[in-house]
Amino acid sequence: MKIAVVGKGGSGKTTTSAVLARGLARHGHRVVALDCDTNPNLGLSLGVGDRETQRLVTLREQVGESDTEHAVSWAEILDTYGTDAPDGVRLSVITRIENPEPG
Amino acid sequence: MTGSRRLRVAFVGKGGSGKSTISGSFARLLARRGEPVLALDSDPLPGMPYALGVAIDDGPIPDDVVVEGPEGGPRWVLDPRCDADAVIEQYAATGPDGVKYLQFGNLWGHASTLQRAQHAWSQVVREVDPDRWHLVGDLPGGTRQAMFGWARYADTVCVVVEPTAKSLHAAARLLNLSTATWAPHHLVIVANKVTDPAEIEAIGARLGRPVASGLPLDAALADGDRLGTAPLDVAPNGAFAHGVEALIDHVESLDYPRDMREPS
Repeated sequence: MKIAVVGKGGSGKTTTSAVLARGLARHGHRVVALDCDTNPNLGLSLGVGDRETQRLVTLREQVGESDTEHAVSWAEILDTYGTDAPDGVRLSVITRIENPEPG
Repeated sequence: MTGSRRLRVAFVGKGGSGKSTISGSFARLLARRGEPVLALDSDPLPGMPYALGVAIDDGPIPDDVVVEGPEGGPRWVLDPRCDADAVIEQYAATGPDGVKYLQFGNLWGHASTLQRAQHAWSQVVREVDPDRWHLVGDLPGGTRQAMFGWARYADTVCVVVEPTAKSLHAAARLLNLSTATWAPHHLVIVANKVTDPAEIEAIGARLGRPVASGLPLDAALADGDRLGTAPLDVAPNGAFAHGVEALIDHVESLDYPRDMREPS
């Protein structure tokens, strides 16, 4: 199954996603947790810690900077740039905006 | 208030940290000092009306005063017969304490056409007379709009942060605004929902900057939130209101070079 969690800021999207992901994993499902927030915090709620949450987005930025002609597959991204969260959840970060850009 | 200096302040932070609550209260309390205040809301899911006590949820600048822009220019511009002053006069709502409230528009129900209102809103913000109004702005939660420069009308940006790991994470990222070419002159850390003074110190230590203002967690405000009642109406003399007064004093006391207000 594929589940997306949406809602107002501060309503508990990230917390709900993390508990869903770990709950499903505890039931024996293989779970990938994708953080698509431009301000990704899912790692904190899954329990991988502050530093690892930050490391993931730094890795993601490097993917964004590499040339797009040899775009990596989903599996590779998860393998190389994901991290293992508690209960066997695999976490990867999809989006982030860190540096101010003209807009 | 020293001389005729007008404040230009915007609030950013993680969703739910209290940007709308604080910015709306800031605008009202500043207006109570007899000052002309324009509240600017660029959140497509606006929370500021609740804090202002303005009874509108959806009031974008109407499409009929927005026309196609010149070739090579912005996609949409205000009808030349209608300038920033006229838009504020006609389309900004007037809230309690006399605050004028100009909205970006509520995305709900406007998905296809809100673009016009957003262009018009941005133009008003660029062209509004900086000597006439204090500008108090509220951005959407998270880092996206802030990083794309939507707070560049402000010379002071308040980063609202709760004493939670996720809120601190977002605040740390938002402090990167200091590296933008259009960086605000002051980035002010506002700690919100504080239950213990030690939390203020911890926030300052984590972010590597002093916390300018600490606002308390107030159960009355949470009750007001559930009823949709503005913080200043539910607890007019509470610790939160006093904290926001102190924040206004702090922002007024900040030092600005003389040429800050010159258009770039």
